[in-house]
Formats: sequence, structure tokens, C-alpha cells
Amino acid sequence: MAETAAIEITNLVVNYGKHRAVDGLSFTVPAGAIFGFLGKNGSGKTTTIKAILGLRKLDGGSIRVLGYDAVTQSMEVRARVGYVSEVNSLYDYLTIPQLCAFCRSVSRQWNQQVVDRYVRVFGLPTTTTVGRFSKGMKSQLALSLALGSNPDLLILDEPTAGLDPVARHDFLNKLVAEIAAEGKTVFFSSHILSEVEAVADWVAIIRDGTLVIADELDHLKQTQKVLKLTYAELPPPAEVEALRSLPNVMSLAQEGRSVRLLTQGDVEALTQTIQARPHALRDVDTVDLNLEDLFLEYMKEGSNGR
Amino acid sequence: MVVKELIEARWKLIAGAVVITLVSAVLAGFYDVLKQSLSGSSSLQQLPQTLHNQVQQLLGSFGVYAWSQWFSKTGPELLAVLAAILGASLIASEVSKGTIFFLLSKPISRERVLLVKYAVSALILLGIMVLSSAALLVTAAILGYPQNVYGVAVSTLLLWLGMLFVLGLALLFSVLFKDVLRSLVGALVIPLVLSIPGYLHGWGAWNLTGYWADFPTYLGQSFPIKALIICLIAALVPLVAAIPLFRKQAY
Repeated sequence: MAETAAIEITNLVVNYGKHRAVDGLSFTVPAGAIFGFLGKNGSGKTTTIKAILGLRKLDGGSIRVLGYDAVTQSMEVRARVGYVSEVNSLYDYLTIPQLCAFCRSVSRQWNQQVVDRYVRVFGLPTTTTVGRFSKGMKSQLALSLALGSNPDLLILDEPTAGLDPVARHDFLNKLVAEIAAEGKTVFFSSHILSEVEAVADWVAIIRDGTLVIADELDHLKQTQKVLKLTYAELPPPAEVEALRSLPNVMSLAQEGRSVRLLTQGDVEALTQTIQARPHALRDVDTVDLNLEDLFLEYMKEGSNGR
Repeated sequence: MVVKELIEARWKLIAGAVVITLVSAVLAGFYDVLKQSLSGSSSLQQLPQTLHNQVQQLLGSFGVYAWSQWFSKTGPELLAVLAAILGASLIASEVSKGTIFFLLSKPISRERVLLVKYAVSALILLGIMVLSSAALLVTAAILGYPQNVYGVAVSTLLLWLGMLFVLGLALLFSVLFKDVLRSLVGALVIPLVLSIPGYLHGWGAWNLTGYWADFPTYLGQSFPIKALIICLIAALVPLVAAIPLFRKQAY
């Protein structure tokens, strides 16, 4: 794969009737990345994934997947993408060999050995119908089948939803250890932040169909901090507004004499700027954020990603 | 994909084949019983003259009886229900079970998906109809009323084309409504509405369902070229309408 971007989304707009589900979304998924796509339920994650796969028409913008236009070259896209949907979308009345035969008949390049290997690794029974499988087994089978078409890009929509922690851990371990090691790009949506943090190297967060932030996870954690300011006296409203308008302040919350700032970029310089202001500070704390903290900060009303 | 469709429709295929074949054989087999019980019956004599004549005509020949009871009445009714059941679930059940995402995420065109599903159902219908016609022919031969095999074969073909209209309608509604029940009802109501001209004096030619069966054809006396063309066009209309609709449909 010569592409530097596995997915390029530009100003994507998708409407459900009068409701705008995705509103001007733009971000890029680098080739070879494990990309976590985060957002609350109903934030537009699944709609975006459906648009990538050509299952929903675009009301604006464009999507390129592995160099192909997702609308006009949807077939090429689907030939190179393995997809595991959020709902159990396997045929309950088929056995694994029957499902494999079906997938083989509709795939351009089918590697039965890969599927057999994963089926063995996951310990899935091959003689019973899928309807008798547990949720975890169905997810494992869906992943095995998605890999059977030898995809360059794997799109997983809430792949571990409904799984117990052990099954989730197993699933993610396989995902990272085997799939990402082969250099495939993995794009997965989730709202279980700990699992995203454990496996993803890139993340994008969306809220109400718009992008809040998209960045490399390590870079995000290095550059996004919370500054906790404790003033000697209650800061006047004008001072709070002045803080809010400082460069690199993304959101602000006040509780009495305490002010909490979500910051981006050079936090030292920002601290010095704030300390130089006329209102006396009793204490300044810089707090590192994990993904969950970041996500919660971005989900707060008034925070704006840059 | 064909095998997957056959496995999915296996219970409909088995139930349809058993019920419809059995009904066609039983209907044919009851001819003698019905004839004997009505010929000496005093209640038959009490019927109005027109009705009396119709019953006499019906029971006067096995051919008239078999055609009117199977190809013109019970057969189309049962087969239309089966065609509607088969067609209504083709897309709608994939949507309701969520399997549509698995299916449409594969590198196959939506046209191919739709046409393979339709073709498998059409072949299931044809198989069941051939079986039921064979059952009728065998029963008739056993009873000593051998029927014209060519006439039965062409009548079966004509009725199959008629049923493809119902199948196509069910498929169209299945794409449109994404709901099995509404698709099923729609596919059964439209042919009923289209049969209304058959009850109006002078409007018989506009009764689409009237072209599904033709007595001279059953007797092997004529080839129903006009009826075949009408039924073929009618069968193609909902199918052709379903293809662009499915292509544009968002899931």
C-alpha cells in the first residue's frame, strides 16, 4: 500500500431526514494506524462508518478510502475493507463453513487459511449454527470473516459491545498482536475508553456529528493538560472571561475560587502568562490527562477542539 | 450466495412444496367423490337452473374440474401467498435482522444481490409449481382421466409468470418498506385490486389475474402468446422498479 492516508474525510455531511447526523466532519486516518473513533451514543460514529462503506449516501463532502472515492468507487473500497458491524449481522442459520462459502462467493480475494487459523485460535465450533453462539463468539467470528477477505483496512463498529471484560481483553489482544502487526490499518469506534487507550495510537472524538479533535494519542496526552488555578479571592467575572479568551485555553469551568482550564500546547508559557496577571493566585496545578479525562473534558458543553 | 439463499428459504420451500403439492393432488383425487355425491343429490336439483348448469358443467369433465379448481382458483391463491411470503422477506428480513450490513459491506453490486435473491425465489416457485402440476397429472392418470401434459406444462408456465408479478411486488415493497408484514400485505392487496375489472361487465381484458389461467391452453388447444407476453411484462415491471430503488436505499 503506497497511500499515506487510509481514510480521508472532508466536510462530510449526512442527514437523516431533517436531522443532521454528521455535520462538516473532516479528518484523516493514516495508513497503518490503529485509529479509535470516539463519541457518545448517537454522536454520528456509525453513520460515518456507513458513509465510508457506501451504505449511506452523502449529503455533502467527500470520503476517500485507500485512494478510492467512497461513493463512485464503493465496490473497490468494499473489496479492500473488512467490516465488523455493531449489531450482530451474521446469518444465524448458517454454520461457519457455510458462512465461509458465502463470503468466498462474494469476495474478490478470500483466504480460507486465515479464517481457519482465527477460528482455531478463538476455539469456535464449526458444526453448530451461528445462532447458538454467544455474543463474544459471534464477535470473534465476525472478525475472523472480516480478515478472510485479506483487507488493507479493517473497520470495526463497537466491536466489543456486549462482551464481558475477559472476552473484550482477548479480542483486543488478538487485534493488536496479530492484525496491527501485519501493518493493516484498523479503524474502530467505541465508547469504552480504556480499551481504546490500550490499543489505539490515533484517536478522533466527535460530538453531535462534528469533529472535536483528531490527533495522535501520545501527542494529545502530551499537549492537552488541565490547569487548576486557586485564587486568593473570588476572581471577578471579567478575569474569568479574560482567562477564557487566552490562547490555548479550550474550556473553562469555575467553582468558587477555583478555575479549571483545559489547555492545549505550551502549558508552561500559559502558566507564566496567568501568573503575571494582577489577580493573586494561591496555587497552580498542572494535571496530566488520560483518554477518559480528555474525552469527558471534550464532551462538556463549551469545549471546542482545535 | 445462491446456496445461502436456498438455506434461508428452506422451510418455506419444504412447507410450500408439501402443502401445495398435497392440495393439488387431493383436489384432483376428490373429483370422483364429488361427482358421485352430487349426481344423485336431491339438493342439486333444488339449485337455480343457472347454478345447476354450472355444477353440471364443472363435474361433467375432469379437465374442466381440474383447470377451474386448480389453475384458475386454488393454485393461484396458494401460490400467490407463497410468492408474497418469499418476496416480502428478501430484503426486509435482512434489514430487520441487521444482516443487511454484513451483506452490503461485501464487494458485490446491489443489483446482483437483488437479482440473485429474486432468481432463487423464482426457481423455488417454479419447482413447487412443477411438482404440484406433476402431482395433478399423476393423480388424474391414476383415476383414469389422463390430462394433456403439454397443456398442463404451458398452463404451469403461464401461472408461474403470473406468480412472478406477485414475487416482484413483494420484493419491491420489501425494498421500500424494510418491513416484512407490510411488504406481504402490499404484495397481496395489489393483485386483488387488479382483479376488480374481472367483476365489471366489459372490463375483463383489464383483469391482470385473468391472464394467469386459460382453459384452451390447459386442453392443449392453443398457445397463450398474448397472455404470456402480458404476464411477462407484468412480472418485469415491479422487478425493474425495485432495482434502482434498492440501489439508492440507505441502511
